[in-house]
Amino acid sequence: MGIVNLVFGWVVDIILLPFQGASPWFGMAAVSLLTSLLMLEVYKLTSNQAAIRRAKDRIKAHLLELRLFKDSMRVTLRAQAAILKANLSYLAANLKPLLVMIVPLVLILAQLSLWFDRAPLGPGEETLVKVGLEEKADPVSLPMELETSPGLEITSPAVRIPDEHEVAWRFKATAAGPGRLTLRVGGLILVKSVAVGGKPLTKVSSLASRGSLWKQALYPGERALPAGTPVRSIEILYPAKSLSVFGHRVHWLVAYLILSIAFGFAFKGVFKVEI
Amino acid sequence: MSNQKRASLSRREFMKAGIAASAALGLGGAARFTPKVYGRARAAKKMIILGMDGMDHGLMTGWLAEGRFPTFRKLLREGGDFRPLRTSLPPQSPVAWSNFITGMDPGGHAIFDFIHRNPKATDPVSFFTFSAAESLGAKKTIRIGKTIIPLSGGEVRNLRKGKAFWQVLEEAGVPATVFKIPSNYPPVPSRQRTLSGMNTPDLKGSYGIFNYYTNETMAVIQEAGGGGRVHDIFVVGNRVEAVLPGPTNSFRTDAPETMVPFQVFLDPANAAAKIVLQGQEFILKEKEWSGWKRVHFNLIPTQSVSGICLFYLKEVRPKFKLYISPVHIDPARPALPISTPESYAKELERHFGPFFTKGLPADTSALVNGVLDEEEFLELDDMVLEESMAMLEYELARFDEGLLFYYFSSTDQRQHMFWRLTDPTHPAYDAKLAARYGGVIAGIYGEMDKALDMALRKADKDTVVIVMSDHGFNAFRRGFNLNTWLLQAGYHRLSKPWKQAESAFFDNTDWSKTRAYGAGLNGLYINERGRERDGLVAAGADKDNLVREIAQKLEALTDPKTGERAILKAFVAKDVYRGPNLEMAPDIVLGFNRGYRISWQSPLGGFPKEVLEDNTQKWSGDHMSSPEVLPGIVIANRKIAAEAPALYDLTVTALNIFGVEKPKEMIGENVLE
Repeated sequence: MGIVNLVFGWVVDIILLPFQGASPWFGMAAVSLLTSLLMLEVYKLTSNQAAIRRAKDRIKAHLLELRLFKDSMRVTLRAQAAILKANLSYLAANLKPLLVMIVPLVLILAQLSLWFDRAPLGPGEETLVKVGLEEKADPVSLPMELETSPGLEITSPAVRIPDEHEVAWRFKATAAGPGRLTLRVGGLILVKSVAVGGKPLTKVSSLASRGSLWKQALYPGERALPAGTPVRSIEILYPAKSLSVFGHRVHWLVAYLILSIAFGFAFKGVFKVEI
Repeated sequence: MSNQKRASLSRREFMKAGIAASAALGLGGAARFTPKVYGRARAAKKMIILGMDGMDHGLMTGWLAEGRFPTFRKLLREGGDFRPLRTSLPPQSPVAWSNFITGMDPGGHAIFDFIHRNPKATDPVSFFTFSAAESLGAKKTIRIGKTIIPLSGGEVRNLRKGKAFWQVLEEAGVPATVFKIPSNYPPVPSRQRTLSGMNTPDLKGSYGIFNYYTNETMAVIQEAGGGGRVHDIFVVGNRVEAVLPGPTNSFRTDAPETMVPFQVFLDPANAAAKIVLQGQEFILKEKEWSGWKRVHFNLIPTQSVSGICLFYLKEVRPKFKLYISPVHIDPARPALPISTPESYAKELERHFGPFFTKGLPADTSALVNGVLDEEEFLELDDMVLEESMAMLEYELARFDEGLLFYYFSSTDQRQHMFWRLTDPTHPAYDAKLAARYGGVIAGIYGEMDKALDMALRKADKDTVVIVMSDHGFNAFRRGFNLNTWLLQAGYHRLSKPWKQAESAFFDNTDWSKTRAYGAGLNGLYINERGRERDGLVAAGADKDNLVREIAQKLEALTDPKTGERAILKAFVAKDVYRGPNLEMAPDIVLGFNRGYRISWQSPLGGFPKEVLEDNTQKWSGDHMSSPEVLPGIVIANRKIAAEAPALYDLTVTALNIFGVEKPKEMIGENVLE
């Protein structure tokens, strides 16, 4: 999984790096455009274009039938049944490309979340770092120490919550630039990166975790934590980020979906893809 | 519960009820002002007015003579001037600032007190009304089950009459920014930038209700007090589950109080806790304040209101004590109108983040009730002051034409709460606290010196700079129970005299035999036939004679404890006010002697046993004296021609700077040379 994340991360980084200093909308537009073009191609290659076209034609024909014979209950009912059947055929024809696309799409979304979901801390800003522990580990008796790199400062004692298997600290970013939190658990040393300041579009990884493949796919920003330790995850509560449209805030995922769909429809003729 | 305590709570309860109605109705859809940018005409002159609530002429004179306040002294050395400023009758902030806003006295602007009475009220609770604003609910609604859907907007109305000076300037094409001036909630319609100040409610629509979570038994009755609610909580496994109350849900027929649950996780050994509120997680150490936390109260699936509040972890153990400030209106999503244009509050929020929007943000109730101590109260008020200074800097930086009015509340609030520690004769004096906090009042005057310095740095030769206050200050050592006095003098009658001490809101009054009653902080009313619901005294000679008789007796009243007169002057309203709006005016306005004030219980129809009593509360300084003994200040970087200008003179002076003729209803005169 580490290699896959590395490759996808590298691709998304290359696409977004030129837009780091500009409004996040530019990066979002670029990545939406490229992924929609990629998905169009994948869709074209993996779908049964003839079957899709056939299903859509049937739907159109039966819709026409509905309008023409609206006075005939029998014809209407038969047309509706046929539309339903054609719809099912359409969905079936879409199943294969969807299954093919879903994996890269999830990986792309996970990468995009690093860029668009959370904002880096501002200098002077405080937040929490939460360490999630194994259920068997007792946060009160487990010896734990948190250290910071220059530019970061711990501003509260640890709050240990046995019920939640969690230990949390508050820390403050005092200077812009990449920082590190070093967690010492017994003889083990775990490191978590911290993003402070930076350009309008900055990559921020909020969670380092170990565990399932699925978790590693969803949180690809950092290397997985080593197995066999009491620490399940280290999470930094970065402020949420959103895109702004005329003063209204839009979640990046909404923006991405709308733009990708818009680009997909805009270019389907160019790529001669039947959607 | 002691009478004293009960009385103080009642006053606040009134405030709470008054504004609560405003907000609850307003949430249904208050009127909004058009968010247009005002087309500006460039004027040659500019004017900066710093409004410093409650700065006292006597204190200022003394401290200047001692060589304090370098900026004020520099201004005076370099051609400026300093005069006592005649305050309003009565010298209450809503009245005084209304005098300044409109250039009229209460006879013109119709604000006579914090509290007005409704002479036709049919029940004790609706007898008292809030003088500054009223709310009108949606005219049309439909009910679907238990849900009420408003089909039209509600309205919150500012009850002040007359044109505000910035409205007059607007008509003349002079731009103005008016920052948190009191008595402007809701802000009157204008295209000028205005942000409402004193009287702006919290999200519950109250004067400001804090929440206090503790497993310690609290003796104070907070809920009835207006100002605070105590939540008895349990710490189970180092965890606290609690709820934060929000506004009443006016979309439901049963109008339940909205609630947001939150959790507090205590560290088993460290004096720190993690708080989780609607997905927000933050850690507080003991004796530490959080920053602003945003909270959303859901009303119906598509409707919610947003507020902001501060958390203070007072103690983790042995007792758990958590204070949450009143929930302020969120300036990013204001549920009620707080600015003109509406975008102004949002603009400030974008620049500064969430900020104090409640009228008087210092939580005096928390200090009075012992929930916050002096140090904690000052920490909170320091945040208010720091924010005020930052916003002043912001407004000054972009000020390049027209008028800027900027208001500070901390001067008033700190004098109310810390006067006792400057006066060894005060019943609430504490030598130990005085040693530590005796300099708080001088300190806040010193901070105002810094604010003036910021303004003067911005001012060029064409900029007139004025520092003004609305009234002076003095000790509140003794409280006068007006209604008890009226009762003992035979002007008031109770239905059940044996229940005198429990009476409130005139619920025990025999109106058929009552000739006079006291309501509000300075007002005395005759139970007039035809005006009051159960009026007894005929208008005309009967009433006039009674008014003179009572006024004479009040002025002759001496305090047996001190030998001093409690009331310097009993003003007959119709003789002292000018203007057509006297229908809500009291018949007599009490002008107290220095050191005296209305008691805690009398303003809302209470009848304690004693006519005069010591004030042992931390709320120890006040300003309800006769205006001539309580002048405010006016300091200008120009010569002041008048010996003792009045508040309404400054209004006309401001118009005059820009060559704007005063409207005929304004009674003041220009006072600058």
